[in-house]
Amino acid sequence: MTTLHATSFKHASAPFPTIAARAIDVVKTYGRDEATVRALDGANVAIPAGRFTAVMGPSGSGKSTLVHALAGLDRIDSGQVLLGGTDLSALSERDRTLLRRDRLGFVFQSFNLVPALTAAENIALPLTLAGKKPDPAWQAELVAMLGLGARLNHRPAQLSGGQQQRVAVGRALIARPDIVFADEPTGNLDSRSGAALLRFLRDATRSYGQTIVMVTHDPVAASYADQVVFLADGRVVDELANPTPETVLARTAHLDTPDGK
Amino acid sequence: MWRLTLSNAIAHRSRLALTWVAVALGVAFVVGGLVLTDTSSRVLDDQFRTAAAGVDLTIRSSAGFDSAMGVEVQRDPLPATLTDRIAGTAGVAKVRAVAGGSAQLQVRGKTVTPKGPTLLGTWAGSPFTAYTLRAGHAPTGADEVVLDVATAKAEHVTLGDRITVSATASRTLRVVGLTQIGDADGLPNSNVLLTDLHTAQLLLGLGTGLTSIEAIAADDVNVPDLRTRLAATLGITYAVTSGQDAAAASADAAKQSISYLRIVLLALAGAGLVVGAFLIANTFGIVLTQRSRELALLRAAGATGRQVLTSVLGEALLVGLTGAAGGTAVGVGAAYGLRGLAKSAGLALPGGALTVTGRTLLVGLIAGTLLTVLAAVGPARRAARVAPVQAMRASDPAPATTKRGRLITGLVLFAIAVALMVVAATTGSMPGVGAAAALLLGAVVVLGPVLAPRLARSVGRPLNRLGVPGQLAREATVRNPRRTASTAMALALALALITFVAVIGSSVKAIAAAGGEAITADLMVQSSREEMLGGLSPEVGQRVANLPQVADTSTTRYGHWLDQGTTSALTAVDPNTLPKVAKVTMTDGTLTALQDGGVVIADSVAKERGLAVGDTLAMTFPRDGQQQLRVVGVMDDRSAQAMSTNYVLSLGTYATHYSENVDATVYVALKDGVDGKQARVALRAAVADFPNAAIRDQGEAAAGRAAATEQVISLITVLLGFAVLIALLGITNTLALSIVERTREIGLLRAVGMTRAQLRRMVGAEAVLVAAIAAVAGVALGLVLAAGTLAGLAADNPVVIRVPAVQLIAVVATAVLAGLAAGLVPARRAAKLDVLTAIATQ
Repeated sequence: MTTLHATSFKHASAPFPTIAARAIDVVKTYGRDEATVRALDGANVAIPAGRFTAVMGPSGSGKSTLVHALAGLDRIDSGQVLLGGTDLSALSERDRTLLRRDRLGFVFQSFNLVPALTAAENIALPLTLAGKKPDPAWQAELVAMLGLGARLNHRPAQLSGGQQQRVAVGRALIARPDIVFADEPTGNLDSRSGAALLRFLRDATRSYGQTIVMVTHDPVAASYADQVVFLADGRVVDELANPTPETVLARTAHLDTPDGK
Repeated sequence: MWRLTLSNAIAHRSRLALTWVAVALGVAFVVGGLVLTDTSSRVLDDQFRTAAAGVDLTIRSSAGFDSAMGVEVQRDPLPATLTDRIAGTAGVAKVRAVAGGSAQLQVRGKTVTPKGPTLLGTWAGSPFTAYTLRAGHAPTGADEVVLDVATAKAEHVTLGDRITVSATASRTLRVVGLTQIGDADGLPNSNVLLTDLHTAQLLLGLGTGLTSIEAIAADDVNVPDLRTRLAATLGITYAVTSGQDAAAASADAAKQSISYLRIVLLALAGAGLVVGAFLIANTFGIVLTQRSRELALLRAAGATGRQVLTSVLGEALLVGLTGAAGGTAVGVGAAYGLRGLAKSAGLALPGGALTVTGRTLLVGLIAGTLLTVLAAVGPARRAARVAPVQAMRASDPAPATTKRGRLITGLVLFAIAVALMVVAATTGSMPGVGAAAALLLGAVVVLGPVLAPRLARSVGRPLNRLGVPGQLAREATVRNPRRTASTAMALALALALITFVAVIGSSVKAIAAAGGEAITADLMVQSSREEMLGGLSPEVGQRVANLPQVADTSTTRYGHWLDQGTTSALTAVDPNTLPKVAKVTMTDGTLTALQDGGVVIADSVAKERGLAVGDTLAMTFPRDGQQQLRVVGVMDDRSAQAMSTNYVLSLGTYATHYSENVDATVYVALKDGVDGKQARVALRAAVADFPNAAIRDQGEAAAGRAAATEQVISLITVLLGFAVLIALLGITNTLALSIVERTREIGLLRAVGMTRAQLRRMVGAEAVLVAAIAAVAGVALGLVLAAGTLAGLAADNPVVIRVPAVQLIAVVATAVLAGLAAGLVPARRAAKLDVLTAIATQ
């Protein structure tokens, strides 16, 4: 199963895209008795390594739940989540934490940074938590790419929203994780800063073969991805390769109708 | 608005719970102290009323002496013939002669030491006393004694047993009766021994003299009239008091000893409340910061700033009132615990049912409520200033920044405090030292938010070894200086008080021990009770002097005198033999000059009063009133400490002014080559029939002097522990609240890979850091206050400051460990947070 390790493919054009993460018949319910909500209802998805995948779907379709399950942030009720060769559902809470620290990266919609740490310290956070030091060359390259050179010693409160999200991207990439999960990363940004951030994410995939999974409800944001996965009612209902805003919008319009699936 | 206040308080009950506990603890302390001292006063009142029973008037020698050190000053004996004169006065129905005093009881060769006094008295039945025989008969012969039931039970004494009673003389007596006193088995903490008049006179060394005469008026006679008449007949030599007044006077004397306990307890309760106030202010501050958006929404919806202020203060009122009520209830129970604590520290407190007065309940309720509301005023005013526009702002509230003005104000206050402290300490002005201490505390409170981050950075340096959790813990304390400062301040205050007490205690002990250094005697014989006035029969000194092992002896006595209206003490010595057992350093005049009368005074007294050799000093004695004594010498203060008083007479002079014939201490110098242990055995054997004679060497004598101080210090330290507890609750509370505030940050840290263990370490490190800052600040503050106080007290004497380093290190270590414990609950709670929920929190 080692061949499934995405980390072995760090170049953009892998001849056969291997699978970085896979969800098999995943079921996740919230609440109890009559108030039960089936957020995921037998979801199946394969995230190809070295690609930028967008996950879309209407509110309540389970897109965030799916990504949380893939990232080991949430336990699932049944089914299987494989990250590379690792079965996440078999891991303890501590092992999942260590896996997140060592093999995954995260960008959230807001409040991405620890207010007490400088930009540089925030970027290095996953590594310092593990008691490691960042690779200086890689750090310098990331900082240059994200245009944060002059801001490294600033605290989050002194950075603009766009700069804060770029620091978050830097932190997600610093440990060269197997997968970066981004949950509505542009949700709180104006369109220009949002576009810049999405370009960084796409460049990370193109230049370094970084696997990225992004949850979004914005067709324009989704169009930066290599492929789009559509969810409805807790299941994957459609996929779209090489999306454009128009094709994405067409699919989502179709999904939003009651009998869309 | 009031309904909003109520629902707010209920909604935030978990956040306010610890505040509630802090209020309740502080109030419990106050109420407990009041209940305890009220109870003790009432029991003492009852006790002396019971003893006075049906007596209308009491006649004693008049002495213008107030009681000193809780011991009623011994008066001159009355002549036996006075009884007949009083009996012959018209209107007097019955008269009884009384000989009474303190004694010592030995059962089966072992000395019985009650917490209170052992009272020797003259037996009489009704109507004079409230004694009622439970078994046996009244004492009639020279070898008969009646014992109170309680003592008999406790010591397993039954009718027919032989017990030894010692006062000036010592006799073995047969127990012929057991008595109850009023309705009780005995007097609390006391032993009561009753003999016939002659035996009591013999034991007390009174000859045919009496200590008092009790009279009962005829049925148709008005008691105040009779009192006036008797007073006129007997003249100013004798004092006629009504039985109830005499009882009240005795009770007052006994109550003197617990009045200082009341002061100590209330002062400590005050400290607890002040520490609690910091915690309350802090909690309200944090809760309101967290609710600032909600408050802004209220303001946007049209609530005025005044309404917000009222609402917050209403919440404080609710917490204060319920907390005070809870604390009052707990405090009544706490009185039992306090009594146990005080008793175990060697304080004589009577037992009995607790007295809870309306005043106590009122004080508890008002103190708790007022304190909470006052502490909430600052946060409430800040809350009222929240602008409506903040409701729309997405960003988290910026932490309060420290202002330059604060630094300047604080430094100016600090400078004034230090200057005042130095001036007050050098001039020996205690009110000045007190004012400086208050100013200093104020300065530290003002400077807290400026100092706390700096202290946190330096004290917290070792935390960097813990990696990111340590670094984040340090940053968290630096980030909100005001919060860190007030959390640490509460603990620092409590620790400062502990440090203060520890330093004062060990310094006082050092001073007491230094007094002993001037004594060169190998052994000393003293009354085994610690009281100053209880004494040894002169026979003891004579027997010791006759032993072959003994080279020299010198005896001393103590007496009270009136110094311009206040009672003071003096020591009488033998100027010829004293130099053989003590090194007395004279700065002027000679010790031997005392032989021709006059007084030797301590150097500090000479300076204070501007007296020199050749001047005269007016001293009022119980026997012969005011006399002019010539100052014949001045000794250094160390010698005065060794003599226990600042005024020294010769034994010959003493005999002319006092009627007491008991020695306080017999100092013994052994012959060269005599083994100390063997000499001790010989001494013991020689005075075996004087069970109250305790033989001590230098070390034991010093330990005896220090023991009392030590007990009181340890009691105060234990009580201060409560203030520390409240402060630690503050750390727990602040951390718990700050974790609520930082939920999202914690969620983020967990998402990017911080393990639960690391998170627990982070929160724990923060708690330890706050405790460490408090320990550093508290110990420093305590040291400064103690140094100032000691310097102020010493005035012209050399300042003795002993810093009990080991003890202080233990205090700091305990505080830091306790900080760790205080962080446990918040740390666990933080670690339990669900990652996703935490991230999603607004």
